[in-house]
Amino acid sequence: MSKKILVVDDDQDVRSFVVTVLEENQYIPLVAQDGVEGLEMIEKHKPDLVILDVLMPRGSGIRLYRKLKTDEELKKIPVIMFTGIALKSFLKSQKALDEFQGGEVPKPDVYLEKPIEPEDLVAAIKKKLG
Amino acid sequence: MLANKILIVDDEDIIVRLLSMSLRSDGYETVTANCGEQGLAVFKAEAPDIVVTDIKMPGMDGLELLKKIKDIDPEKEVIIVTGHGDIDSTITALQFGASDFINKPVRDEALAIALERAKAKIAIREKLKEYTENLEFKIAEATDEIRRKSNFQRLLIRSSNDAIVAFDHDWKVVVFNPGAANMFGEAVKDVRNKMSIDELYTPKIAKIFKNQAKEGKQQNTFPWRENIINTKDGRQIPVRYTSNVLHEKGEFVGTVNFFQDLTEIKRLEKELVQSERLAAVGQTVSGLAHYVKNILIGLKGGSYVVDVGIAKNDTEKFKAGWKTIKRNIKRVGDLTQDLLTYSKQREPEFESCSPNDIVNEVIELITDIARSNGVFVSKEFDTGIGEVMADPQTIHRSLLNLVNNAIDACIEDEDTSKKHEVKIRTYVDNNNYFGLEVKDNGCGMDEDIQKQLFNPMFSSKGGKGTGLGLLVTGKLIEEHKGVIETETSPGNGSTFTIKLPYEKVNTVDKN
Repeated sequence: MSKKILVVDDDQDVRSFVVTVLEENQYIPLVAQDGVEGLEMIEKHKPDLVILDVLMPRGSGIRLYRKLKTDEELKKIPVIMFTGIALKSFLKSQKALDEFQGGEVPKPDVYLEKPIEPEDLVAAIKKKLG
Repeated sequence: MLANKILIVDDEDIIVRLLSMSLRSDGYETVTANCGEQGLAVFKAEAPDIVVTDIKMPGMDGLELLKKIKDIDPEKEVIIVTGHGDIDSTITALQFGASDFINKPVRDEALAIALERAKAKIAIREKLKEYTENLEFKIAEATDEIRRKSNFQRLLIRSSNDAIVAFDHDWKVVVFNPGAANMFGEAVKDVRNKMSIDELYTPKIAKIFKNQAKEGKQQNTFPWRENIINTKDGRQIPVRYTSNVLHEKGEFVGTVNFFQDLTEIKRLEKELVQSERLAAVGQTVSGLAHYVKNILIGLKGGSYVVDVGIAKNDTEKFKAGWKTIKRNIKRVGDLTQDLLTYSKQREPEFESCSPNDIVNEVIELITDIARSNGVFVSKEFDTGIGEVMADPQTIHRSLLNLVNNAIDACIEDEDTSKKHEVKIRTYVDNNNYFGLEVKDNGCGMDEDIQKQLFNPMFSSKGGKGTGLGLLVTGKLIEEHKGVIETETSPGNGSTFTIKLPYEKVNTVDKN
């Protein structure tokens, strides 16, 4: 059975690109425009993997990522961070939030920086989903 | 000097001795002679101050002696001693310049009075002489001083880099220094004592100085002002100028104007602004790089989707990819235009236009994007604005920018229960300016964002903003002599208002 993959990105160009890549590789794409919508989709569709942008309106990727990683049930869903933000900046913001909120959230499994070649994205997905 | 030495001349020795004794006891110094010849010799040798001489003497008589003395020194006081009934010789003596006469027999009192009078005369004469000499000296000194000063002032005026122009009470040019010749492009000889104020200045500037003179004492001098003057050879020079009205004993005698050439200062100012702006663009580069990267992502993604569409003959895919590519091409175009607008000095191009029409154009452009994001756009027009003199491009671009920001603020808003709305309102205030107000009920801005609004390289939109939008808008409005005002409340929305000078175009002829 084909796996469901959710793309959370506010940029419709990015969504259209990722969706096409997923379709080409026989995955079932789901889309969300922002963090709030992303969480709704995750809870509703229980995707096999989430491709998550960092900078978005209404509940940034940073927040959604923390939410996923601290939720007992949702933390099993693998997350690929897919963003224009450098990993260093992302980790810095996570560390700040760790200190602020207490606890420690694990680093993302895969962190991809835009732009990316379709085959690299597919390779990252395959590695996660087996 | 005290007139103290007296020569007594008489052929009667006894009289000479008596008089001499009497005068000595009065404190005078005396010298004596018994005849005219001797008297003259003693006079020459002793240089007495006053001579007292008998008229009738054998040999050289008193009159003869008087004449000789007066020949030597016309200012010597000579007192004549005459016998009774000797009126004729007395008159002759007075005609020859005798200062006084006394009758024989000589009484001490009469002599004392005559001497006092003679002494007074000498004193007055001496004082007068002193005054005269002093006066001459003073005049020479003053003339010298005036010459020196006027030379100095002439040099000062001549060598001044500033233009100095003075007019007499008929507004004829009386001073026109080489600095002025340089500035106005006129030769000194063609202007000084030839041109009037109206021939030298433009009517507007001439009027300023004439009015100043009219206003009298209250306006003797005014603070430095700035203006542009037109030279004979057609150059326009920015100047700083001031003017003094000159009065003499309450009468208007003329005006003197001073001009300083500001060309160099203006050029430096412009250069500074330009380099600051370039520096700002430089600072924006990291933000820009990010933005350009996003465009690249769009283009790459779009072309991948187009490739898939072609390979599979899937028209939908093809169209979607192509749309992405076109959207990103437009982003490149917009970015380029923003950069150019921001880095270049641009004068607004004023023309008759209708702000309300421009708002309609802008609304038409953004309707699609607003609707697809669930944002309702409304308008409220003051139809009284009509046609104004303004730069339609400035209004269009600034407004489009603010409306786009307003829509973004609605999209960013975390409160999805709100019915998001962007309201565009136009109005006229007191006929001084017209306002274009863009009000949204989106996310609003906290203090941090507000502070950085018009800073280069600042964007609250992540990689989706260039950080140039408000910067460009701010510059356009400033060039248009307008202002942008901001009001915001985090969570409740923001209002941006553009205020531009209101210059209505009269479509109906008043005459």
